[in-house]
Amino acid sequence: MTDYEVVIGLETHIQLNTKTKIFCACKADSWDDEPNTNICPVCTGLPGVLPVLNKAVVEKGVLLAKAMHSDIRMRSFFDRKNYFYPDLPKGYQISQYDLSLASGGYLDIPMPEGYTRRVSIHKLHMEEDAGKTKNAGNLRLIDFNRCGVPLVEMVTGPDLRSANEAAQYLIRLRQLLRWLGISEADMEKGHLRCDANVSIRPKGSDQLFTKTEIKNVNSIDNVKNAIEHEVERQIREVEAGNRVHAWTLDWDEEKNELRKMRSKETEADYRYFREPDLLPLDLTQAWLDEILADFPELPLERKSRFISEYKLPEYDADILTGERNLSDYFETAVQQYAGDPKKVSNYLMNDVLRMLNESGKTANQLKLTPAYLAEILKMVDAGQINTSTGKSLLEKVESSGRSPKSIVETEGLGLVSDDSAIRAVAEKIVAASPKEVETFRAGKETLIGWFTGQVMREMRGKADPKLATQILLELLKK
Amino acid sequence: MELCDRSAHKLLELLRSKQVSAEEIVRSSLQRIAAVDGRPGSLESGEETEKDRQSVHAFISVAAEQALDQAKSIDRQLAKGEPVGLLAGIPFSAKDVFCVKDTYTTAASKILANFKAPYTSTAVERLQKQGAIMLGKVNLDEFTYGSSNESTAFQPCPRNPWDTSRVPGGSSGGSTASVAAGEVPLSLGTDTAGSIRQPAAFCGVVGVKPTYGRVSRYGIIAFASSLDCPGPIARDITDAALMLQAIAGADPRDSTAANVPVPDYLATLEQGVKGKRIGLSPDYFQISYMDAESGEIHQKPVQEDIRAAVYHAAEVLQRMGAEIIEDVPMPNTRYGIPAFFVISRVEAASNLHRYDGVKYGYRTPSAEDDLRVMYRKTRNEAFGLQPKLRILMGMYVSAAQYSEQYYNRALKVRALLRRDFDQIFDPLGKYRLDALLTPTTPTTAFPIGAIYGDSVLMQYADQFTVTANHAGIPGISLPGGIAADGLPVGVQLLGPDYSEHTLLQMGRSLEIGTQDEAWRSQRPALTLRW
Repeated sequence: MTDYEVVIGLETHIQLNTKTKIFCACKADSWDDEPNTNICPVCTGLPGVLPVLNKAVVEKGVLLAKAMHSDIRMRSFFDRKNYFYPDLPKGYQISQYDLSLASGGYLDIPMPEGYTRRVSIHKLHMEEDAGKTKNAGNLRLIDFNRCGVPLVEMVTGPDLRSANEAAQYLIRLRQLLRWLGISEADMEKGHLRCDANVSIRPKGSDQLFTKTEIKNVNSIDNVKNAIEHEVERQIREVEAGNRVHAWTLDWDEEKNELRKMRSKETEADYRYFREPDLLPLDLTQAWLDEILADFPELPLERKSRFISEYKLPEYDADILTGERNLSDYFETAVQQYAGDPKKVSNYLMNDVLRMLNESGKTANQLKLTPAYLAEILKMVDAGQINTSTGKSLLEKVESSGRSPKSIVETEGLGLVSDDSAIRAVAEKIVAASPKEVETFRAGKETLIGWFTGQVMREMRGKADPKLATQILLELLKK
Repeated sequence: MELCDRSAHKLLELLRSKQVSAEEIVRSSLQRIAAVDGRPGSLESGEETEKDRQSVHAFISVAAEQALDQAKSIDRQLAKGEPVGLLAGIPFSAKDVFCVKDTYTTAASKILANFKAPYTSTAVERLQKQGAIMLGKVNLDEFTYGSSNESTAFQPCPRNPWDTSRVPGGSSGGSTASVAAGEVPLSLGTDTAGSIRQPAAFCGVVGVKPTYGRVSRYGIIAFASSLDCPGPIARDITDAALMLQAIAGADPRDSTAANVPVPDYLATLEQGVKGKRIGLSPDYFQISYMDAESGEIHQKPVQEDIRAAVYHAAEVLQRMGAEIIEDVPMPNTRYGIPAFFVISRVEAASNLHRYDGVKYGYRTPSAEDDLRVMYRKTRNEAFGLQPKLRILMGMYVSAAQYSEQYYNRALKVRALLRRDFDQIFDPLGKYRLDALLTPTTPTTAFPIGAIYGDSVLMQYADQFTVTANHAGIPGISLPGGIAADGLPVGVQLLGPDYSEHTLLQMGRSLEIGTQDEAWRSQRPALTLRW
C-alpha cells in the first residue's frame, strides 16, 4: 500500500469588526437584527448609487497584512467580480484582484507535537460580503443585511499536511485576529469562514494532484473532521483505481458527512476589471505609520519573551498569551507586584482564568485589576494575610470592586501579628497539652507543627504562623 | 419673445427686479411644453400620428403641480425679501437617468419603467438647493446607449425642434430638445462619449462636459462609470456657467468626485481671450471609419459647412486677441471610437447586471421555478436592442481569454489618447495650448431612421467628442453657425483638466464676437410658430 501525503490549502473569509459596512454607513454587524434592517440604497445596489470606501476597513486590513509579514502595496485597486446571484444585488462583488492590498507573507504554526509549520499566504485582499439566501419551501428569501459587510479574504498556499495542522492554523489565525482586534473571529457566527482545498499524493511526490473544495464548515472541529473524512475518501478512491474529481463538497454537520455540491472542472470566468466607481487606494507613508504606530507584539513573540524574561514554563506562557488582554493583564500584574512572575502566573492560571470562564468576561473587564492582584500577592508575601485568605479575596474584590486592603480591614481578615495576643493563646495551648509538651521536649521537635496548628485553629487562621511558631518554640524550650 | 424663450440669467434679472414671478416663468414653460411637446413617451405608443411627427416629445414625465408649488414658495420668499439661491425660480429638465426621490427614473428602459428612486442625485439636489425648479424628466436613448434618441423604449422618441424630421442627437437628446424648444432654459444631461455635446450641436444649444470628477455622479444611472460625466445644457454660455457653478464640486457620496476647489465661473466669464493659445488639428476635420465588410479604414472629411464654421470661429477668436495654432497633431484621435466600443461595453454590461428582476424594476410575469430562466426571461423581455448588444459585446471582450486582446488593449489606447492631450496642453511643451477648437460633430442632425440600426456608424457621430471622455478632460459645444441645410452647427472647445472657466470664457468671447451675425437670430422652426 502506498503511503500518502495530505496537501491542504485554506481559503478563509474574515469578517472585520468595523462599525459600518465597507462602502456605506449601514451597521456592519447584524447578528441580532431582523432581516433587511441594516440596508440602504448603496448596499442593496440601487441604480445610480456609488460605493465610498470605509477607511477603517483598510486600517484593519493593513494590520492583518503586517501580522502576516506580507508586502503592503502602497497603491492597490478594487476590481469587480461579475456573477449573477439573487443575494448579490449589483450582480458583481467589489473585491480586489491582481493588485490587492498585500502580497505574499506567512504564518508560523507551532504544532503541539513540537515542530513549527510555516504556512505561506498566497492572497490577501479586501472585499464586500454578499447577502444571505434562505430557501423556504418554494420561496427563496433574501436578507441583504450582510451585503457590504467588510471581509478580508486570505488564501494559504498548499502547505498544510494534516487535518490537525489545518485546525491549528485556524486556532492561531483566530487568536491573531482577536489579538489585533480586527475581527471577533467567531466561526459559529460566520466571522471566520473557511473553505478547505484537499488533495493527496504519494509520499515523496512534489506534484499537486486534483483537489476537492470543502465548503460551509462552521467550526474548527468540523474543519478537522471534514478534512479527515475527505482524505479517507480520496485514499479509498485512489486505492480502488479511481480518479479524484474536482468536486465542491458541502459538510453536513448533523450527518457528519460530505455531500457533493457540484463538479468544478472548469474555473468560472468572473470577468474581473477595475472598479471604476472607486479611485485607486493610495496608502500614504503617514497613514501607514499612523496605522502601524500601535502595532502590538504578536502572540508567539510575546510567548517566547514570557519564557525568557519571566522564566515561565512554556505551558504557562502559551496559555497566558492565548489572548491579548490576558497577557497584558499578566504583564501589568507582574510589574506592579515586582515579585516572582510564576506566582502571578499561578494565580492567573488557577483562579483568574476560572473566573473569566465563568463570567464570560475578558481580562480587561475584571474589577479585580492587575494592581489589586499584585496587592493581594504582596500582602500574602508580607504575612499580612495567609494564602487561603488571599485566594478568597479574589472573588471578593471582583464582586465588590473594592480594594483588597479595605476588604481585609473591614472584614478583619488580616493576620494577627500582635505578639501578646498570640502569646496568650500559645500559653494556653502549651498548658493544656502536657503530653505533647513532654514528647516535644523528649526530642520530637517536629511536633511544633501540631502546636502551631492548634494556635491557628484557636485563632481561626488569623494568626501569623511564623510568629506563632516562634513564640511556641520559645515557650516549649524554656 | 415669450418668457420661456429667455435665458436663465435674463429671467433671474427680471425675477429679482420683481418684473416677473417664478410662477409666471414656470407657467410660461408649462405652456410651451403643452404647445410643442406632444404626447409624452410611453411603453405603449401605438401608431405614430402626423401630430407626433411634428412634436418634440422631449418629456417622459412632467411634474407641473410640484413645479408650480415650488415656484409659489420662491415667490413668497422673494416677496419677504428672504435670500434665495443662485437659480431660484428657474425651470430645468433632467435626463431620465438622474434619480429624484419618489419620482420615476426610467433610463428610458422598460426594465426600469416602474422604478421610483428613494433618493435624489447630487446634481439635481444641488440645483434644487439653489432654487431651480425641476419641470420633469426628459427622454434619452435607452440607458443612454445611442446618439439619436431613437432607441428609447418610451416612444415617440424626441425630435429636433429645428426640423422635426431630424433626430435631436443623443443620448441627452430630450435635454437639448427641451432647451432648444424653449420648454426649459436649463437641462441636466450626461456625457459618456459626447452625449451632451453632440445633441447640443444638433439642437443649437450649449452643452458642457465637465472634467471627469468635477460633477458628482451620485444618483445617476450609470452607462460606463469611468467615462460618464453629468453636465449642463443651456441656451448660452452664461447660463451654462451658472448651472455648472451650482452642480460642481466634491461629494462625500462619490469618491471619484474631485476634491478640487470650484472657481467662480461667472467672475472670469467676460475676461476675453487675449493671449490665449487655441489650436486646430487636422485630425479633427476628418472621420475615420471602418468598412463593415472589408475591415478597411476609410477617411472622410467633415461636412464642408461644419469645417467652415470652425474656421470662422477661429478667425473670430483670433480677431478678439487669441493666438491660433494650426496643424496640431492628435494622432490617436481615430482610435477613440474603437477603444470606446470596448471599454464602455465592458463597464455597461457589468453595470446592467443589477437589473435582474429580483429587487426592483421589471420581472417577467411568467412564473418561473428556475432562477436562471427568470433572469433570462426578465432581461430578454425588458432590455431593448441596444442594452442587449452592449451586454453581448461587453461580456465578450472582457472574457478571460479575450480581455488581453480587447479590453486591456483598449485601456492602452485610452492612455495614448490622454497623452495626445497632455502634450498639446503642456505649458512647457511645443504647443502650450489653452484649448483645442474642433467641430463637435462630423455632420448636422441626420434624419430620423437614416442611421438607426447601424450601431457602428451611429457611434461615429461621437468621433470628435469621445476623446475628451477617454482623457477625462472638459469640453464645451456651442453654436457656431447654421449649415446650408438650415440646421445648427456646433463648435467644440477642449481644454486641460479643470479648465472649464477658461473654456467658458472662450465660449463667451465667441458669443460676443458673433453676436451680430445673421445666423445668431435664427430660432428653431418649431418655436417660431408660437
